[in-house]
Amino acid sequence: MKDRPSVMDLPDLPKGELPAHLELQRTRVVCAADAPSYTESVQYSGAYMAFGVDNSLRLEDFKKSFKVEVKYINDDDMEFDMIGIDAALANAFRRILLAEVPTMAIEKVFIANNTSVIQDEVLAHRLGMIPIKADPRHFEYKADDENANEKNTIVFKLNVVCTRKGDRVNNASVKSEQLIWLPEGSEMPFDTKTKFTAFGCGQDKLPEFASSPICSQYPDITIAKLRPGQAIELECHAIKGIGKTHAKWSPVATARYRMHPEIVLTEVLEDDLAEELVAKCPAKVFDIEDLGKGRKGVKAARPRDCTLCRECVRGEDWEKRVSLRRLKEHFIFTIESTGSLPPNVLFTEAIKILIDKCQRIIAELS
Amino acid sequence: MDHGGPAPPEPVTYLCGDCGADNTLKPGDVIQCRECGYRILYKKRTRRIVQFEAR
Amino acid sequence: MASTKEYGAEADDQTASTFSLTEEDHTLGNALRYVLNKDPRVSFVGYSIPHPSEERVNLRLQTTGLPARDVLKDGLQDMMALNDHVRVTFEKAVDDYKTLQGMREMSVGASGRSGASAKSGLTHQTLSTDTK
Repeated sequence: MKDRPSVMDLPDLPKGELPAHLELQRTRVVCAADAPSYTESVQYSGAYMAFGVDNSLRLEDFKKSFKVEVKYINDDDMEFDMIGIDAALANAFRRILLAEVPTMAIEKVFIANNTSVIQDEVLAHRLGMIPIKADPRHFEYKADDENANEKNTIVFKLNVVCTRKGDRVNNASVKSEQLIWLPEGSEMPFDTKTKFTAFGCGQDKLPEFASSPICSQYPDITIAKLRPGQAIELECHAIKGIGKTHAKWSPVATARYRMHPEIVLTEVLEDDLAEELVAKCPAKVFDIEDLGKGRKGVKAARPRDCTLCRECVRGEDWEKRVSLRRLKEHFIFTIESTGSLPPNVLFTEAIKILIDKCQRIIAELS
Repeated sequence: MDHGGPAPPEPVTYLCGDCGADNTLKPGDVIQCRECGYRILYKKRTRRIVQFEAR
Repeated sequence: MASTKEYGAEADDQTASTFSLTEEDHTLGNALRYVLNKDPRVSFVGYSIPHPSEERVNLRLQTTGLPARDVLKDGLQDMMALNDHVRVTFEKAVDDYKTLQGMREMSVGASGRSGASAKSGLTHQTLSTDTK
């Protein structure tokens, strides 16, 4: 063992840069045929101290690397890419969207008459789930012991009678468009026990609702079905709430993200293998590439379409040819709004709620 | 004070089981719809307001 | 009633504390753990939710020398700054997308009147700004 070199004679490790395999583990989830690996993100600021790499988070660096790319927006849905942010924050936004951004939803139902086959409590539950087209930012939360007023409650009435007219049956199904907004508050006789609304002024006189009357977001939701002679007469009170309390207040049908897929061909694949790979992929991610002289190659043309089904890394030797990964800091974020607010407004509201949470803790620590 | 026997029975409105028409019956009337002749009549639901939580 | 309590601050060593945050969950707990872990003055941070039906997050924070309470406050400030940057970037991206969409609609409308050649030219232009 005489000619073994001393550790002191070894060349210095490259400083300020991670070795390739660690960089891969830090930034990618590697999806092998059996299971994904390196799924966690390395958070500790001193994790790469030995390599002279600072893993702490500096606001300037974040500002330099963080990017948002909007893919599409319409009234209900949007998709955007969020690049350069950790899952901890992306997930916080997603969770807040689902459970903590407020909306208006029917909470109390006062049933005067219901002779339909649908039971009162089931009918009430169905009414609660109807998305209401009203901006929740114009309303206040209503405390349990508080009386309903024009700032915390929206009142609707539903008065339908099913009748037979010759061969036709009128009002055979009750639709959500038949809910009538009562901007002046309840029309039911005042009752001290149930506390009907006492509105100071008509909601339709308020500037925020004058141009856009409050109604159900979708006119064609079936609330109940009736036969001739059956009738429903009721009043509903919608209040502000959050999805944590009950899913009816959740402003989104869903809010989700996925990591951007990355497909790297680790070997040059030609002719039969190229054709096989194109055929293997059910999402049609790969394209045949003309290499000239009649030879065919393959390239991953649409990695975004990849569903991570891992068909391309299944079978003998395929794991050696194709490396399937996900980018840990590139999120494809999709928001589907139920309609009370546009999806981009929902996202900014979610960020504001997270900021409010921080402010609350700071205030309580002081 | 005034115990003048039971009050005269009030006419009650029923719903026809077939056509849904209102039928006002007094005691002793034939139980039959005046519109369509159907012989099943239903008593109306009370109009007392019941409150439900929409959950 | 929401409250935040610090445990362990009464001892001589102020660098290690457990903070008990009520009415919070993984949303804030995990985000805060991430931000604090990225702070070089933190030697250990972790959180737990002792019972799923109690709205409480216990956050353990040990620092390399500063009082834990100050580092936690800085962490919260950092997170607010991060969030604010995300909000500004997002709003700008949405505005840019909407103006671009408006331009595209205008160009399609104009091409309807002035013929197909103008349409291809204008859409190409707007697309090239899109990729930038």
